[in-house]
Amino acid sequence: MSYYDIDSILTDAEKIPCTFQLDVPELGYLDNSPGQTLKAGARVALPLWLAELLAITSTGSSDDQNKSYVAFDLPHALRNDVVQALKAEPLAVPLRDQSAHFYSLATHMMDLSEEPELSATLRKTFVRRAAEIALHARKLGGGTGKGDEGGSNLGVGGAGEEFLRGLDEWERRLFRKAHDGTRAGKEWMEKIKKN
Amino acid sequence: MALPLPPGLTQPEVAFLAEMELVTIVPRQRLESISLLGGQTPPLRPPHRAELPLWLALLLKKQRRANIVPPPWLHPASLSEIITRESKDNPDAFSSPPPPPSRAHPTEPGRARRLAESDANLSPPFQPSCTADAPAGYLPYHWLEVAEALLAHAGDDMPVAAGEVRSLLRDLVEVRAAKMRSSTSTLESFGGGLTSLRGVGAMELAESRGFVLGVVDGVRKLGASAEATRREEEEFGGGRDVSDDESDEDMGI
Amino acid sequence: MDIDDILREVDPTFHEVPQEKRDLQDLTRAWVAERSAPELLSWPSDGLFERISDSIRRQIERIEEMTGDMDPKTNFALIVIQTELERFKFLVRSYLRARLSKIDRHALHYLSTDELRARLSDTEMAYASRHQALLHNHYLSSFLSSFPPALQNLNDTSGGIAMVDTPDLESAVFIRLLNDSLVMGRGVDTDDTSEFQEGDIVILRWSDAKSLVESGRAELV
Repeated sequence: MSYYDIDSILTDAEKIPCTFQLDVPELGYLDNSPGQTLKAGARVALPLWLAELLAITSTGSSDDQNKSYVAFDLPHALRNDVVQALKAEPLAVPLRDQSAHFYSLATHMMDLSEEPELSATLRKTFVRRAAEIALHARKLGGGTGKGDEGGSNLGVGGAGEEFLRGLDEWERRLFRKAHDGTRAGKEWMEKIKKN
Repeated sequence: MALPLPPGLTQPEVAFLAEMELVTIVPRQRLESISLLGGQTPPLRPPHRAELPLWLALLLKKQRRANIVPPPWLHPASLSEIITRESKDNPDAFSSPPPPPSRAHPTEPGRARRLAESDANLSPPFQPSCTADAPAGYLPYHWLEVAEALLAHAGDDMPVAAGEVRSLLRDLVEVRAAKMRSSTSTLESFGGGLTSLRGVGAMELAESRGFVLGVVDGVRKLGASAEATRREEEEFGGGRDVSDDESDEDMGI
Repeated sequence: MDIDDILREVDPTFHEVPQEKRDLQDLTRAWVAERSAPELLSWPSDGLFERISDSIRRQIERIEEMTGDMDPKTNFALIVIQTELERFKFLVRSYLRARLSKIDRHALHYLSTDELRARLSDTEMAYASRHQALLHNHYLSSFLSSFPPALQNLNDTSGGIAMVDTPDLESAVFIRLLNDSLVMGRGVDTDDTSEFQEGDIVILRWSDAKSLVESGRAELV
């Protein structure tokens, strides 16, 4: 994670469901009741950077030392039915609809709380989808094929287009790398014949 | 001024590197030795063969001052053999790279030793793996670049019609491209810390580099917290998973 | 006395690789390594670069002398010499520019400790400090000076994240083994240790590859 990284800044702005652990005066505007006290137990969606800060900062109140301001759950994008769907068929879930920074968000969440099962599922998902991304990139980049398997039969149309639309930012970058590699290979091939 | 390229050699840079490979030529004209920055060129005396870097050999060829002897591995029989090995004998891995010079003469220990010492740490493009003395049946690191350059500029020096060699090369590229793809589709290859791509070629690597490294780095980031937990457990558990007796026994073997 | 000297004594047929050839090999390897490594590598300390710049300068002078000579045979030699000179210049330029781009991207990082500063050549050091000074002045005059003093730092580490960007040393790289070696690589699920043969190509993290590359047992590809 780096200070000037736009993607990591945008990931930090993703909303996380939080539950306040204690009453906070004057904070009611977060829960649509301006001027009121925000009651303990109130559920509010906070941006990740704020949720993280409040979750790891101890309130320091004398009665229970270790109590933090909020407890948080996994964000909507990582809810159980999404993870189950990914387990069943990684290619069928448009990750971008969950979050444009799906993997980045997940990585950040797993830093905050241990989710070994989520980590394993997401790694499988990532690798499986990467193979599919490579396939599409190769077709679109012109490939090193014999020319008879050009864009039309797998192409951008139909299911292919739908899959590519659903890529998150990490996957889009991967797609670009695969595509650029294939294209540069083809350009080299063509150039060597010319001079 | 700073170079705007991503890390890792791009295809044009790989092609540049491959032009340093030594190839064997048969001069058609005398040419005295020239002192170059990289050392003296050998004096050329037809019909004696000489070894020159590919860029210089191509320059001579274009001026009809020399013919280039294709390396033995580029002969159709050698290519067909490699294709069979890559597609039938060992469909999952690239075929072995040529044996390194230090291992090349097991029956002549004296010679082998000398090669090993004087060429210490030599690697492509400075290993003579594209000369007329190179072994048949093995693809050197810069196989595709050298083969394409020779086909484009010295097609008439091929032992058979250039079209035949070209079509065998196409088949080989296809067989190997499929391996490169499958090497990135199994999670097992990324849960561990080492992935071997023994026998891969420079151009194949350049084409897939960004993607493959992107996948490996992505898996590392998604697994970072799991990995940190594993390290903590190993440190406190003395490197052993004490909760699982069976795996303990396995580790004892 | 190094191994070459010993071998030359016991074996008269042993011939050393000429210095020019070895310099070309070293320059090429340094270029590939710098183009591939995620961080700035050390400037070669054995005078490689000075030797190469000198011979490039001498070669240019030689070309000027030869250009007067119109003998067609010399003429072809001239084409060869010029072609090779351009190849050398490309290597040198690409190597220096690859280093510049790393210095630009993480200037504050490479200026931050003596150990890191030692990787830069004198000219690179001068470039990095002046460039950084210019940038800092520009930031100050355009916006930093209107911030409260406490927020003017460019190397703050509060909030759990450092402002000074650093290269990711865990990035994966490709290496080629130059000797048969035991290689250790850390992974997510397991840490692997395997025996690899000379010429094998392996993907692993740069942090695990670095010591192999620095000791000459492997090279980046």
